[in-house]
Amino acid sequence: MGHSISTIHSIPRCRSISARYALCLFPLLAVPSPCSARELLQVFVTAPYIELHTGPGRGYPVFHVVPREEGMDVLKRRTDWFKVRDERGVEGWAAQRDMLHTVLADGSPFTFSLGDRGGFTAHRGELGVFVGDYGGATLISAYGSYSFNSSLAAELSIGQFLGNASNGIVGDLGLTHVFLPERRLSPFAMLGTGFVNIDPKATLVAPPDRTDQTAYYGGGLRFYLPRRFFLRGEYKSHMVFTSRNDNDEVDEWKLGFAFFF
Amino acid sequence: METGLRVLLLTLAGLTLGGCASVRGWLDRDTPPAEQAEPTDEELARAEQTEAEEGAPRVIDPEVERRKIKVPKIDTENVELGGFFGALSIEDFGTNPVYGITGAYHITEDFFALGEVGRSKAGRTSFETLGGNIQLLTDDERQLTYYNVGLGYNFLPGEVFLGRGRAMTSALYVTMGVGNTEFAGDDHVTVNLGAGYRVLPTDWLALHVGLQAHLFNSDLLGSDKMTSNLQAHMGVTVFF
Repeated sequence: MGHSISTIHSIPRCRSISARYALCLFPLLAVPSPCSARELLQVFVTAPYIELHTGPGRGYPVFHVVPREEGMDVLKRRTDWFKVRDERGVEGWAAQRDMLHTVLADGSPFTFSLGDRGGFTAHRGELGVFVGDYGGATLISAYGSYSFNSSLAAELSIGQFLGNASNGIVGDLGLTHVFLPERRLSPFAMLGTGFVNIDPKATLVAPPDRTDQTAYYGGGLRFYLPRRFFLRGEYKSHMVFTSRNDNDEVDEWKLGFAFFF
Repeated sequence: METGLRVLLLTLAGLTLGGCASVRGWLDRDTPPAEQAEPTDEELARAEQTEAEEGAPRVIDPEVERRKIKVPKIDTENVELGGFFGALSIEDFGTNPVYGITGAYHITEDFFALGEVGRSKAGRTSFETLGGNIQLLTDDERQLTYYNVGLGYNFLPGEVFLGRGRAMTSALYVTMGVGNTEFAGDDHVTVNLGAGYRVLPTDWLALHVGLQAHLFNSDLLGSDKMTSNLQAHMGVTVFF
Protein backbone atom coordinates (compact mmCIF):
# COMPACT_ATOMS: atom_id res chain seq x y z
CA MET A 1 0.00 0.00 0.00
CA GLY A 2 2.74 2.36 1.03
CA HIS A 3 4.79 1.54 -2.03
CA SER A 4 1.95 2.11 -4.45
CA ILE A 5 1.16 5.44 -2.88
CA SER A 6 4.77 6.46 -3.00
CA THR A 7 4.92 5.62 -6.69
CA ILE A 8 1.83 7.61 -7.52
CA HIS A 9 2.94 10.65 -5.61
CA SER A 10 6.61 10.57 -6.27
CA ILE A 11 6.57 13.68 -8.42
CA PRO A 12 5.30 16.26 -5.92
CA ARG A 13 7.50 14.65 -3.30
CA CYS A 14 10.62 15.01 -5.39
CA ARG A 15 9.66 18.57 -6.08
CA SER A 16 9.36 19.41 -2.42
CA ILE A 17 12.61 17.63 -1.60
CA SER A 18 14.48 19.30 -4.42
CA ALA A 19 13.06 22.64 -3.35
CA ARG A 20 14.37 22.02 0.14
CA TYR A 21 17.78 21.02 -1.16
CA ALA A 22 17.87 24.05 -3.39
CA LEU A 23 17.06 26.27 -0.44
CA CYS A 24 19.67 24.50 1.60
CA LEU A 25 22.31 24.70 -1.11
CA PHE A 26 21.80 28.35 -1.87
CA PRO A 27 23.54 29.65 1.26
CA LEU A 28 26.19 26.97 0.76
CA LEU A 29 27.17 28.60 -2.48
CA ALA A 30 27.45 31.96 -0.83
CA VAL A 31 29.14 30.93 2.42
CA PRO A 32 31.41 27.90 2.65
CA SER A 33 29.84 26.67 5.90
CA PRO A 34 27.58 23.64 6.32
CA CYS A 35 23.82 23.98 6.58
CA SER A 36 23.08 25.42 9.97
CA ALA A 37 19.87 23.42 10.45
CA ARG A 38 20.09 19.84 11.59
CA GLU A 39 19.00 17.34 8.99
CA LEU A 40 15.41 16.40 9.74
CA LEU A 41 13.54 13.27 8.89
CA GLN A 42 10.76 13.82 6.40
CA VAL A 43 7.69 11.62 6.36
CA PHE A 44 4.54 11.61 4.24
CA VAL A 45 1.01 11.08 5.42
CA THR A 46 -0.80 8.01 4.10
CA ALA A 47 -3.83 8.22 6.41
CA PRO A 48 -6.69 10.51 5.33
CA TYR A 49 -5.27 13.08 7.74
CA ILE A 50 -3.16 13.42 10.88
CA GLU A 51 -4.18 15.57 13.80
CA LEU A 52 -1.72 17.93 15.42
CA HIS A 53 -2.08 18.70 19.13
CA THR A 54 -0.74 21.75 20.93
CA GLY A 55 1.21 19.57 23.39
CA PRO A 56 2.60 16.07 23.73
CA GLY A 57 -0.48 14.46 25.27
CA ARG A 58 -3.96 13.35 24.34
CA GLY A 59 -5.45 16.02 26.61
CA TYR A 60 -3.98 18.91 24.65
CA PRO A 61 -6.38 20.22 22.00
CA VAL A 62 -6.17 19.49 18.28
CA PHE A 63 -5.51 22.70 16.37
CA HIS A 64 -4.44 21.57 12.91
CA VAL A 65 -4.60 18.62 10.53
CA VAL A 66 -2.11 17.49 7.93
CA PRO A 67 -3.86 15.95 4.89
CA ARG A 68 -2.92 12.78 3.05
CA GLU A 69 0.17 12.92 0.81
CA GLU A 70 1.56 15.99 2.53
CA GLY A 71 5.09 15.89 3.91
CA MET A 72 6.12 16.65 7.47
CA ASP A 73 9.50 17.20 9.09
CA VAL A 74 9.95 15.30 12.35
CA LEU A 75 11.50 17.76 14.79
CA LYS A 76 11.67 15.74 18.00
CA ARG A 77 10.05 13.01 20.01
CA ARG A 78 8.82 13.06 23.58
CA THR A 79 7.44 9.83 25.01
CA ASP A 80 4.83 8.63 22.49
CA TRP A 81 4.50 11.94 20.68
CA PHE A 82 6.34 13.43 17.73
CA LYS A 83 6.72 17.13 17.15
CA VAL A 84 6.32 17.75 13.41
CA ARG A 85 6.28 20.68 11.02
CA ASP A 86 4.12 20.51 7.92
CA GLU A 87 4.85 22.04 4.53
CA ARG A 88 3.16 25.29 5.55
CA GLY A 89 5.42 25.61 8.57
CA VAL A 90 2.79 24.74 11.17
CA GLU A 91 4.32 22.90 14.13
CA GLY A 92 2.43 20.57 16.43
CA TRP A 93 2.49 17.23 18.18
CA ALA A 94 1.32 14.04 16.46
CA ALA A 95 0.55 10.84 18.33
CA GLN A 96 2.66 7.73 17.85
CA ARG A 97 -0.34 5.73 16.58
CA ASP A 98 -0.91 8.35 13.86
CA MET A 99 2.74 8.36 12.88
CA LEU A 100 2.39 4.67 12.03
CA HIS A 101 0.37 5.90 9.02
CA THR A 102 3.29 7.72 7.45
CA VAL A 103 5.99 6.64 5.03
CA LEU A 104 9.50 7.79 4.26
CA ALA A 105 10.41 9.44 0.96
CA ASP A 106 11.23 6.05 -0.60
CA GLY A 107 7.80 4.70 0.28
CA SER A 108 8.98 2.45 3.08
CA PRO A 109 6.97 2.68 6.30
CA PHE A 110 8.25 4.92 9.06
CA THR A 111 9.26 2.61 11.87
CA PHE A 112 10.25 3.46 15.42
CA SER A 113 10.39 1.78 18.78
CA LEU A 114 6.99 1.31 20.33
CA GLY A 115 6.57 1.00 24.06
CA ASP A 116 4.70 -2.27 23.82
CA ARG A 117 5.02 -5.95 24.59
CA GLY A 118 7.52 -6.41 21.76
CA GLY A 119 9.67 -3.75 23.37
CA PHE A 120 9.45 -5.58 26.67
CA THR A 121 10.89 -8.69 25.03
CA ALA A 122 13.75 -6.88 23.32
CA HIS A 123 15.00 -3.50 24.49
CA ARG A 124 18.27 -1.73 25.21
CA GLY A 125 17.85 -0.11 28.60
CA GLU A 126 15.99 -0.52 31.86
CA LEU A 127 15.68 1.65 34.94
CA GLY A 128 13.88 0.79 38.13
CA VAL A 129 13.37 1.50 41.80
CA PHE A 130 13.05 -1.04 44.61
CA VAL A 131 12.05 -1.17 48.23
CA GLY A 132 13.05 -4.20 50.25
CA ASP A 133 15.03 -5.80 52.98
CA TYR A 134 18.81 -6.11 53.27
CA GLY A 135 19.82 -8.40 56.12
CA GLY A 136 16.99 -7.09 58.28
CA ALA A 137 17.42 -3.43 57.38
CA THR A 138 15.09 -1.43 55.13
CA LEU A 139 16.53 -1.13 51.67
CA ILE A 140 15.91 1.54 49.03
CA SER A 141 17.63 0.88 45.77
CA ALA A 142 17.68 1.76 42.11
CA TYR A 143 19.10 -0.08 39.14
CA GLY A 144 19.90 0.40 35.51
CA SER A 145 20.68 -2.23 32.93
CA TYR A 146 21.96 -2.47 29.40
CA SER A 147 20.77 -5.44 27.35
CA PHE A 148 23.10 -7.12 24.89
CA ASN A 149 20.20 -9.17 23.55
CA SER A 150 16.75 -10.14 24.75
CA SER A 151 18.21 -12.53 27.34
CA LEU A 152 21.51 -11.15 28.58
CA ALA A 153 22.02 -7.80 30.28
CA ALA A 154 24.67 -6.03 32.34
CA GLU A 155 23.20 -4.51 35.44
CA LEU A 156 24.31 -1.87 37.91
CA SER A 157 22.42 -1.26 41.12
CA ILE A 158 22.96 1.00 44.07
CA GLY A 159 21.05 1.06 47.31
CA GLN A 160 20.95 2.36 50.81
CA PHE A 161 19.92 0.26 53.77
CA LEU A 162 18.74 1.76 57.01
CA GLY A 163 18.70 -0.55 60.01
CA ASN A 164 18.51 -0.40 63.77
CA ALA A 165 22.17 -1.26 64.27
CA SER A 166 23.73 0.17 61.17
CA ASN A 167 23.14 2.00 57.94
CA GLY A 168 25.03 1.54 54.77
CA ILE A 169 25.35 1.65 51.04
CA VAL A 170 25.43 -1.36 48.77
CA GLY A 171 26.44 -1.41 45.13
CA ASP A 172 26.38 -4.30 42.67
CA LEU A 173 27.57 -4.90 39.14
CA GLY A 174 26.71 -8.11 37.37
CA LEU A 175 25.03 -10.04 34.62
CA THR A 176 21.38 -10.98 34.39
CA HIS A 177 20.00 -13.74 32.24
CA VAL A 178 16.30 -13.65 31.43
CA PHE A 179 14.61 -16.93 30.67
CA LEU A 180 11.63 -16.83 28.31
CA PRO A 181 11.91 -13.08 27.63
CA GLU A 182 8.87 -13.20 25.35
CA ARG A 183 6.58 -14.23 28.20
CA ARG A 184 4.61 -11.72 30.22
CA LEU A 185 6.01 -13.29 33.37
CA SER A 186 9.62 -14.22 32.92
CA PRO A 187 12.15 -15.46 35.44
CA PHE A 188 15.76 -14.36 35.52
CA ALA A 189 19.02 -15.31 37.21
CA MET A 190 21.78 -12.97 38.38
CA LEU A 191 25.48 -13.24 39.14
CA GLY A 192 27.91 -10.50 40.02
CA THR A 193 30.14 -8.65 42.39
CA GLY A 194 29.93 -5.46 44.40
CA PHE A 195 30.69 -3.68 47.62
CA VAL A 196 29.02 -2.84 50.88
CA ASN A 197 29.81 0.12 53.08
CA ILE A 198 28.56 -0.34 56.62
CA ASP A 199 28.19 2.64 58.90
CA PRO A 200 27.36 1.37 62.41
CA LYS A 201 25.09 3.59 64.45
CA ALA A 202 26.63 5.49 67.32
CA THR A 203 27.25 3.25 70.33
CA LEU A 204 29.51 3.49 73.36
CA VAL A 205 32.29 1.80 71.46
CA ALA A 206 31.80 2.98 67.91
CA PRO A 207 33.46 0.65 65.42
CA PRO A 208 34.80 2.43 62.35
CA ASP A 209 33.09 2.38 58.95
CA ARG A 210 34.11 -0.50 56.84
CA THR A 211 33.87 -1.30 53.18
CA ASP A 212 33.96 -4.87 52.00
CA GLN A 213 33.84 -6.53 48.64
CA THR A 214 30.92 -8.79 47.94
CA ALA A 215 29.80 -11.38 45.46
CA TYR A 216 26.23 -12.36 44.80
CA TYR A 217 23.95 -14.72 43.01
CA GLY A 218 20.22 -14.47 42.80
CA GLY A 219 17.07 -14.68 40.82
CA GLY A 220 13.70 -13.14 40.38
CA LEU A 221 10.65 -12.56 38.30
CA ARG A 222 9.59 -9.71 36.08
CA PHE A 223 6.00 -9.09 35.06
CA TYR A 224 4.95 -6.89 32.16
CA LEU A 225 2.49 -4.09 32.90
CA PRO A 226 0.96 -1.90 30.16
CA ARG A 227 3.11 0.44 28.09
CA ARG A 228 6.75 0.54 29.13
CA PHE A 229 6.36 -0.64 32.70
CA PHE A 230 6.99 -3.88 34.49
CA LEU A 231 7.14 -5.13 38.03
CA ARG A 232 10.27 -6.80 39.27
CA GLY A 233 10.87 -8.82 42.37
CA GLU A 234 14.17 -10.43 43.20
CA TYR A 235 16.32 -12.18 45.74
CA LYS A 236 20.09 -11.86 46.05
CA SER A 237 22.38 -13.84 48.30
CA HIS A 238 25.46 -11.74 49.08
CA MET A 239 28.73 -13.15 50.29
CA VAL A 240 30.58 -10.35 52.10
CA PHE A 241 34.34 -10.89 52.14
CA THR A 242 35.23 -9.44 55.53
CA SER A 243 38.66 -9.01 57.04
CA ARG A 244 37.67 -11.44 59.78
CA ASN A 245 38.05 -15.21 59.57
CA ASP A 246 34.45 -15.75 58.58
CA ASN A 247 32.69 -14.28 55.63
CA ASP A 248 29.21 -12.87 56.13
CA GLU A 249 26.20 -13.96 54.21
CA VAL A 250 23.46 -11.40 53.70
CA ASP A 251 20.08 -12.00 52.11
CA GLU A 252 18.46 -9.26 50.07
CA TRP A 253 14.79 -9.27 49.05
CA LYS A 254 13.26 -6.45 47.10
CA LEU A 255 10.27 -5.52 45.00
CA GLY A 256 9.86 -2.59 42.69
CA PHE A 257 8.78 -1.23 39.39
CA ALA A 258 10.88 -0.56 36.35
CA PHE A 259 10.56 0.65 32.80
CA PHE A 260 12.37 -0.09 29.57
CA PHE A 261 13.46 2.24 26.78
CA MET B 1 -12.48 -39.84 -88.05
CA GLU B 2 -9.36 -37.97 -87.45
CA THR B 3 -11.12 -35.56 -85.18
CA GLY B 4 -12.62 -38.42 -83.13
CA LEU B 5 -9.22 -40.01 -82.70
CA ARG B 6 -7.78 -36.73 -81.55
CA VAL B 7 -10.53 -36.33 -78.95
CA LEU B 8 -9.98 -39.86 -77.70
CA LEU B 9 -6.21 -39.36 -77.30
CA LEU B 10 -6.67 -36.09 -75.49
CA THR B 11 -9.21 -37.70 -73.15
CA LEU B 12 -6.79 -40.54 -72.36
CA ALA B 13 -3.93 -38.13 -71.81
CA GLY B 14 -6.07 -36.03 -69.47
CA LEU B 15 -7.15 -39.05 -67.41
CA THR B 16 -3.62 -40.47 -67.19
CA LEU B 17 -2.02 -37.22 -66.08
CA GLY B 18 -4.81 -36.56 -63.59
CA GLY B 19 -4.36 -40.05 -62.07
CA CYS B 20 -0.60 -39.62 -61.81
CA ALA B 21 -1.11 -36.35 -60.06
CA SER B 22 -3.35 -38.05 -57.46
CA VAL B 23 -0.73 -40.79 -56.93
CA ARG B 24 1.96 -38.23 -55.94
CA GLY B 25 3.00 -38.58 -52.30
CA TRP B 26 1.68 -42.10 -51.79
CA LEU B 27 5.09 -43.50 -50.87
CA ASP B 28 5.66 -41.25 -47.84
CA ARG B 29 2.03 -40.82 -46.78
CA ASP B 30 2.62 -42.56 -43.38
CA THR B 31 5.34 -40.17 -42.21
CA PRO B 32 3.98 -36.91 -40.79
CA PRO B 33 4.68 -33.89 -42.80
CA ALA B 34 7.59 -31.89 -41.40
CA GLU B 35 6.21 -28.56 -40.26
CA GLN B 36 9.40 -26.75 -40.83
CA ALA B 37 8.08 -23.31 -41.43
CA GLU B 38 10.67 -21.16 -42.94
CA PRO B 39 11.87 -18.46 -40.50
CA THR B 40 10.68 -14.99 -41.28
CA ASP B 41 13.03 -12.06 -41.53
CA GLU B 42 11.81 -10.69 -38.18
CA GLU B 43 12.60 -13.91 -36.30
CA LEU B 44 16.00 -14.05 -37.85
CA ALA B 45 16.74 -10.55 -36.76
CA ARG B 46 15.62 -11.32 -33.19
CA ALA B 47 17.81 -14.42 -33.04
CA GLU B 48 20.76 -12.42 -34.18
CA GLN B 49 20.08 -9.83 -31.48
CA THR B 50 19.86 -12.48 -28.72
CA GLU B 51 23.16 -13.96 -29.81
CA ALA B 52 24.72 -10.55 -29.79
CA GLU B 53 23.42 -9.74 -26.28
CA GLU B 54 24.89 -12.85 -24.74
CA GLY B 55 28.34 -11.80 -25.73
CA ALA B 56 28.26 -8.02 -25.52
CA PRO B 57 27.21 -5.74 -22.56
CA ARG B 58 23.65 -4.45 -22.51
CA VAL B 59 22.89 -0.94 -23.53
CA ILE B 60 20.06 -0.56 -20.96
CA ASP B 61 20.39 -2.27 -17.59
CA PRO B 62 16.90 -3.08 -16.32
CA GLU B 63 18.02 -3.62 -12.71
CA VAL B 64 17.10 -0.36 -10.99
CA GLU B 65 18.81 0.26 -7.70
CA ARG B 66 16.48 1.65 -5.01
CA ARG B 67 17.43 5.04 -3.76
CA LYS B 68 18.81 4.62 -0.26
CA ILE B 69 17.32 7.13 2.16
CA LYS B 70 19.47 8.10 5.07
CA VAL B 71 17.12 8.25 8.03
CA PRO B 72 18.25 11.05 10.34
CA LYS B 73 18.07 10.28 14.03
CA ILE B 74 15.11 11.81 15.79
CA ASP B 75 15.94 13.96 18.77
CA THR B 76 14.25 12.43 21.79
CA GLU B 77 13.60 14.74 24.71
CA ASN B 78 12.44 12.58 27.59
CA VAL B 79 14.90 13.71 30.23
CA GLU B 80 14.20 16.75 32.36
CA LEU B 81 16.89 18.23 34.62
CA GLY B 82 16.90 21.32 36.75
CA GLY B 83 16.93 22.91 40.14
CA PHE B 84 14.52 24.20 42.72
CA PHE B 85 14.43 26.63 45.59
CA GLY B 86 11.85 27.02 48.30
CA ALA B 87 10.98 26.73 51.95
CA LEU B 88 10.98 23.57 54.06
CA SER B 89 9.14 23.37 57.33
CA ILE B 90 11.11 20.92 59.48
CA GLU B 91 8.83 19.77 62.25
CA ASP B 92 9.78 21.43 65.56
CA PHE B 93 12.67 23.28 63.88
CA GLY B 94 10.90 26.07 62.01
CA THR B 95 10.71 26.90 58.33
CA ASN B 96 13.95 27.28 56.46
CA PRO B 97 15.19 27.74 52.90
CA VAL B 98 15.65 24.58 50.86
CA TYR B 99 17.37 24.10 47.51
CA GLY B 100 18.24 21.16 45.36
CA ILE B 101 18.45 19.50 42.00
CA THR B 102 15.76 17.48 40.36
CA GLY B 103 15.56 15.15 37.40
CA ALA B 104 12.88 13.20 35.63
CA TYR B 105 12.59 10.70 32.85
CA HIS B 106 9.27 10.87 31.02
CA ILE B 107 8.26 7.30 30.31
CA THR B 108 4.83 7.91 28.80
CA GLU B 109 2.74 11.03 28.40
CA ASP B 110 1.22 10.23 31.80
CA PHE B 111 4.03 8.84 33.92
CA PHE B 112 7.52 9.99 34.72
CA ALA B 113 10.25 8.62 36.94
CA LEU B 114 11.77 11.23 39.19
CA GLY B 115 14.75 11.73 41.42
CA GLU B 116 15.75 14.68 43.54
CA VAL B 117 18.26 15.75 46.13
CA GLY B 118 17.64 18.64 48.48
CA ARG B 119 19.36 20.47 51.33
CA SER B 120 18.16 22.67 54.12
CA LYS B 121 19.33 23.76 57.54
CA ALA B 122 17.13 23.45 60.59
CA GLY B 123 16.51 26.42 62.86
CA ARG B 124 16.00 26.43 66.60
CA THR B 125 13.17 24.68 68.37
CA SER B 126 10.84 26.64 70.66
CA PHE B 127 12.44 24.82 73.56
CA GLU B 128 15.90 26.10 72.58
CA THR B 129 14.62 29.62 72.04
CA LEU B 130 12.86 29.77 75.39
CA GLY B 131 15.48 27.83 77.30
CA GLY B 132 18.28 30.26 76.77
CA ASN B 133 21.60 28.67 76.01
CA ILE B 134 20.41 25.15 75.33
CA GLN B 135 21.61 23.52 72.08
CA LEU B 136 19.80 20.36 71.06
CA LEU B 137 21.85 19.86 67.94
CA THR B 138 25.24 20.89 66.70
CA ASP B 139 25.59 22.96 63.56
CA ASP B 140 26.49 19.88 61.50
CA GLU B 141 23.50 17.99 62.83
CA ARG B 142 21.16 20.79 61.82
CA GLN B 143 22.06 20.18 58.20
CA LEU B 144 19.22 18.30 56.51
CA THR B 145 19.90 16.42 53.28
CA TYR B 146 17.37 14.25 51.52
CA TYR B 147 17.01 12.27 48.38
CA ASN B 148 13.91 10.86 46.84
CA VAL B 149 13.20 8.50 43.95
CA GLY B 150 9.75 7.73 42.69
CA LEU B 151 7.06 8.13 40.13
CA GLY B 152 4.98 11.06 38.95
CA TYR B 153 1.65 11.20 37.16
CA ASN B 154 0.57 14.06 34.90
CA PHE B 155 -3.06 15.01 34.89
CA LEU B 156 -5.23 17.97 33.91
CA PRO B 157 -3.19 18.96 30.87
CA GLY B 158 -3.99 22.41 29.63
CA GLU B 159 -2.78 25.68 28.26
CA VAL B 160 -1.89 29.00 29.80
CA PHE B 161 -2.62 32.04 27.66
CA LEU B 162 -0.50 35.15 27.79
CA GLY B 163 -2.25 37.94 25.98
CA ARG B 164 -3.75 37.28 22.55
CA GLY B 165 -0.96 35.53 20.77
CA ARG B 166 0.85 33.31 23.19
CA ALA B 167 -0.16 29.94 24.62
CA MET B 168 1.98 27.72 26.83
CA THR B 169 1.21 24.10 27.60
CA SER B 170 0.83 23.18 31.24
CA ALA B 171 -0.04 20.23 33.46
CA LEU B 172 -0.67 19.37 37.04
CA TYR B 173 1.16 16.37 38.44
CA VAL B 174 1.32 14.30 41.58
CA THR B 175 4.39 12.46 42.77
CA MET B 176 5.18 9.70 45.20
CA GLY B 177 8.57 8.43 46.17
CA VAL B 178 10.81 6.91 48.78
CA GLY B 179 14.16 8.06 49.96
CA ASN B 180 16.30 8.97 52.87
CA THR B 181 16.57 12.06 55.02
CA GLU B 182 19.79 12.65 56.87
CA PHE B 183 19.05 14.89 59.79
CA ALA B 184 20.22 15.28 63.38
CA GLY B 185 23.01 12.78 62.87
CA ASP B 186 20.70 9.99 61.77
CA ASP B 187 19.20 8.56 58.60
CA HIS B 188 15.45 8.27 58.23
CA VAL B 189 13.55 6.29 55.64
CA THR B 190 11.31 8.91 54.09
CA VAL B 191 8.14 8.73 52.07
CA ASN B 192 7.54 11.71 49.80
CA LEU B 193 4.17 12.84 48.54
CA GLY B 194 3.91 15.83 46.29
CA ALA B 195 1.94 17.80 43.77
CA GLY B 196 3.06 20.38 41.29
CA TYR B 197 2.20 22.56 38.37
CA ARG B 198 4.37 22.70 35.29
CA VAL B 199 4.27 25.39 32.59
CA LEU B 200 6.36 25.17 29.44
CA PRO B 201 7.18 28.56 27.86
CA THR B 202 9.03 26.61 25.13
CA ASP B 203 9.23 22.93 24.32
CA TRP B 204 12.43 22.50 26.23
CA LEU B 205 11.98 24.78 29.23
CA ALA B 206 9.63 24.14 32.14
CA LEU B 207 8.74 26.22 35.17
CA HIS B 208 7.48 24.42 38.24
CA VAL B 209 5.60 25.33 41.38
CA GLY B 210 5.17 22.52 43.86
CA LEU B 211 4.30 21.31 47.30
CA GLN B 212 5.80 18.26 48.93
CA ALA B 213 5.50 16.40 52.20
CA HIS B 214 8.47 14.46 53.56
CA LEU B 215 7.22 11.91 56.05
CA PHE B 216 9.65 10.12 58.34
CA ASN B 217 9.83 8.73 61.84
CA SER B 218 11.92 10.62 64.33
CA ASP B 219 12.67 10.05 68.02
CA LEU B 220 14.69 13.22 68.38
CA LEU B 221 12.48 14.77 71.01
CA GLY B 222 12.00 11.72 73.19
CA SER B 223 9.18 9.73 71.70
CA ASP B 224 9.15 8.06 68.32
CA LYS B 225 6.75 9.97 66.12
CA MET B 226 5.94 10.44 62.48
CA THR B 227 7.02 13.86 61.34
CA SER B 228 5.52 15.60 58.34
CA ASN B 229 7.82 18.16 56.80
CA LEU B 230 6.14 20.33 54.24
CA GLN B 231 8.01 21.97 51.44
CA ALA B 232 6.93 24.63 48.96
CA HIS B 233 9.21 25.32 46.04
CA MET B 234 9.67 26.81 42.61
CA GLY B 235 11.88 25.25 40.00
CA VAL B 236 13.23 25.48 36.49
CA THR B 237 13.98 22.43 34.40
CA VAL B 238 15.25 21.84 30.90
CA PHE B 239 14.20 18.99 28.61
CA PHE B 240 16.86 17.28 26.54
